[in-house]
Amino acid sequence: MLDAFSRAVVSADSKTACIGGNELQSLKNFISEGNKRLDAVNTIASNASCIVSDAVAGMICENQGLIQAGGNCYPNRRMAACLRDGEIVLRYITYALLSGDASVLEDRCLNGLKETYTALGVPLQSTGRAVGIMKAASLAHINNNNTEANGGKRFRKMEMKDGDCSAITSEAASYFDRVISALS
Amino acid sequence: MKSVVTTVVTAADAAGRFPTTSDLESVQGSLQRAAARMEAAEKLAGNIDQVAQEAYDACIKKYSYLNNDGEANSNDTFKSKCLRDVKHYMRLVNYCLVVGGTGPLDEWGIAGQREVYRSLNLPTAPYVEALTFARNRGCAPRDMSSQALVEYNALLDYVINSLS
Repeated sequence: MLDAFSRAVVSADSKTACIGGNELQSLKNFISEGNKRLDAVNTIASNASCIVSDAVAGMICENQGLIQAGGNCYPNRRMAACLRDGEIVLRYITYALLSGDASVLEDRCLNGLKETYTALGVPLQSTGRAVGIMKAASLAHINNNNTEANGGKRFRKMEMKDGDCSAITSEAASYFDRVISALS
Repeated sequence: MKSVVTTVVTAADAAGRFPTTSDLESVQGSLQRAAARMEAAEKLAGNIDQVAQEAYDACIKKYSYLNNDGEANSNDTFKSKCLRDVKHYMRLVNYCLVVGGTGPLDEWGIAGQREVYRSLNLPTAPYVEALTFARNRGCAPRDMSSQALVEYNALLDYVINSLS
């Protein structure tokens, strides 16, 4: 497993070069923007169960067949498995976001996931849709721009200092996209 | 590779939980100390050729028998390899400063070190001398700030201990 720092080290070692200049500058940014990263991880982790259950509910809303007899979320047992998997995926995304590198997500979650789901008959498209909804909700939480209209009864705004979070948002988005493309 | 973040993530993953407040606190702690490490890494990267050359010269000066026929520093090929070895250690120190742990030195420098030097019949004392010279040569604030120098020296001490 690598983080942003050890990723830089591994790539410098393959060139037998020291780390200085530009690479060091991006790591310095990582350090100075560190609090935004921690806030982002915290806001996703604090709202995880809400994000996950909303995403699964949304996926089912769009495709009612899932909860009819024979559907993949039909008995409670399978619905529970679905919620559990959503939480696992979101958990590995928070790990990747915390370490600033996708290796933990790739190695421990996505590697072989598509094959497993295909073998178990889990519909990949629906899974991808659920991850897409988790992405939208998580990014809204990171930017703290979720609205009551979107959140409904469960609307919740975290107390956070406002600032420019575009970099961390697009980084988080890239981890969700990685999951979606691994499943399609 | 072992660092504060990967340790935290491994522990959280083993327990199957999201990163908790205390996990985030320990990452925050390592980020706070990171500025000094980055400074040391930057200064070292900028001067690594000079640092390695001085350290190499110092150890050859102390162990001048190495220049004798059949010894480890007796011809140009050997000389350049000795210098390269010293530079490798400095580069790994640079990596460790960036990562914030001894992972790069452990995995790429120290693992198997004793066996290699023994089978090539190389003495370790000159390496210790070279690294000790580099350790004592650093000076705050001429070369870097004192906190950065502390981090840099700690890693050099770590290598010296592994060799002695």
